[in-house]
Amino acid sequence: MNFRHVTGGLGLACAAWGGWLLLQQPEPWRIAVWLGGAVAVHDGFIAPLVFAVAALAAAAGLRLRGVPRAALIVAGSLTAIALPALLRPGGTANPTVLPLDYLRNWLLAMAAIALFTVVHAALHAALRALTRRADRGA
Amino acid sequence: MRFTLPPGPPVTFKARLHDARTATAIGRWLGLAMAVCFATGVLSHYLQHPPGWLADRLPSRPYWGYRLTQGLHVASGIAAVPLLLAKLWAVYPRLFAWPPVRSLRHALERISVAVLVAAALFELFTGLLNTFQWYPWPFNFVPVHYAVAWLLLGALLLHVAVQWPLIRDHFTRRSPGTLALPAADGPDRRQLLLGVTAAVGAVTLTTAGQSVTALGALELFGPRSPSHGAQGLPVNRTAAAARITPASLADWRLTVHGPRPYTLTLEELRAMPQHDVTLPIACVEGWSKSAHWTGVRVRDLLERAGGGADARARVVSLEAAGAYRVMEMGRLYAQDPLTLLALRLNGEELSLDHGYPARIIAPNRPGVLQTKWVGRLEAA
Ligand code: HEM
Repeated sequence: MNFRHVTGGLGLACAAWGGWLLLQQPEPWRIAVWLGGAVAVHDGFIAPLVFAVAALAAAAGLRLRGVPRAALIVAGSLTAIALPALLRPGGTANPTVLPLDYLRNWLLAMAAIALFTVVHAALHAALRALTRRADRGA
Repeated sequence: MRFTLPPGPPVTFKARLHDARTATAIGRWLGLAMAVCFATGVLSHYLQHPPGWLADRLPSRPYWGYRLTQGLHVASGIAAVPLLLAKLWAVYPRLFAWPPVRSLRHALERISVAVLVAAALFELFTGLLNTFQWYPWPFNFVPVHYAVAWLLLGALLLHVAVQWPLIRDHFTRRSPGTLALPAADGPDRRQLLLGVTAAVGAVTLTTAGQSVTALGALELFGPRSPSHGAQGLPVNRTAAAARITPASLADWRLTVHGPRPYTLTLEELRAMPQHDVTLPIACVEGWSKSAHWTGVRVRDLLERAGGGADARARVVSLEAAGAYRVMEMGRLYAQDPLTLLALRLNGEELSLDHGYPARIIAPNRPGVLQTKWVGRLEAA
């Protein structure tokens, strides 16, 4: 008995309890389909998409590192949490549910991130050119 | 014909940073977010559906308790979105481990990882969509989200136990496992983690305004906004949805049951001692907003009906149907001087959507239990 066994055993017990609770639900197989579907959509679609973008960028000679990569992570994350508001069909229960202009806000956020990235890259390039000229002058 | 395994995996990855240090560094924050999410979620579950033995022990203070914990529940769930995606990116190549199964033990491990990933994605997805009041699934959200939370906690504990040697060896920048990785990856990894941190900050700041009123100006993607709603407060269930019309309230009376039952007209309620309180409405969906309420103390109403100093309350709404039409209020809530049968909100008579003529407002409770359109109160 050590820390790993206790933690693992506790984990098995909690997971078994959760599984038992799920089996009490009407038609648990429907829940299993959604659980499996989540993995299938992530592993079969979202992740390959991300790796494909990176591969395309690499093929185009772009190095997705530093700020541009961080910008893509931030943009992707914001898109993920904004998607429900952008895609939700049907009306809302009342005007205080989803009261914001989510499409406008999403476009604003994407534009701000793009602007930041471009300005950062431009400043970086300018700085590099300056130091190079200074080096040459010296 | 004999099936032979191809000599190598179908996909290989050349990219850097798919290593145990990256998995540990992101995993630590993901684990923390999941722990906060689980603890606050279980708390909310029991506040909303307390078993009998607990009902009279649930504390009514601090008055902002549920606002904080449920705000944290939704915020930590949202913060976990970039963390989970980054974590899965870091370990994605291991999906194609070759050979796919080495031993029975390895097979069981992989099954437990599949359960972990399924439960994590499922909880974040269903939780997020719920805050947008979007329920595309064919099951009941509350019991299923609760059950999968236990599945996730269990699979996560098991995962940490299984990966413990790697986690320990990569826990810090100077742990032996980290030092054994290519040194050139260090700065690159720190930039990656900085990007993930920025993403956590961005999703938090652009949604937290739904519960932290001071951050309202930064709110871009929250499903509720503190600046929207009649009388300064968002609404969940409207009078129309509850089938309450002004006509149906024409001869409204409050009936109070107990050893000495009585009824009151709205005029008589207004003539009783009024109290002002400042209390938040804190919804299970995560949004919350503080407001000023004026009305009669519930404990005064119970006492007048002959309920003792430890009376609890049952509150019945006039709405025709609804899961929370009848609300049970434990002793500590019922006797708290902040708990009101409110008649006024932010200086005005309650609007119909906010529960006119009278609604409950109590400290440290989920919004669905702040019963609107109260018709009957029972001292028990
Ligand atoms: C919801 C939470 C988590 C999910 C969904 C998750 C998911 C995964 C997956 C899918 C793997 C690959 C397993 C395999 O080899 O087949 C993995 C590996 C790993 N995880 Fe997690 N994880 C979570 C939390 C954590 C936490 C809290 C930690 C530690 C602080 C952690 C540390 C690790 C480590 C060290 C590895 C091994 C990486 C390697 O072998 O290079 N994970 N995780």
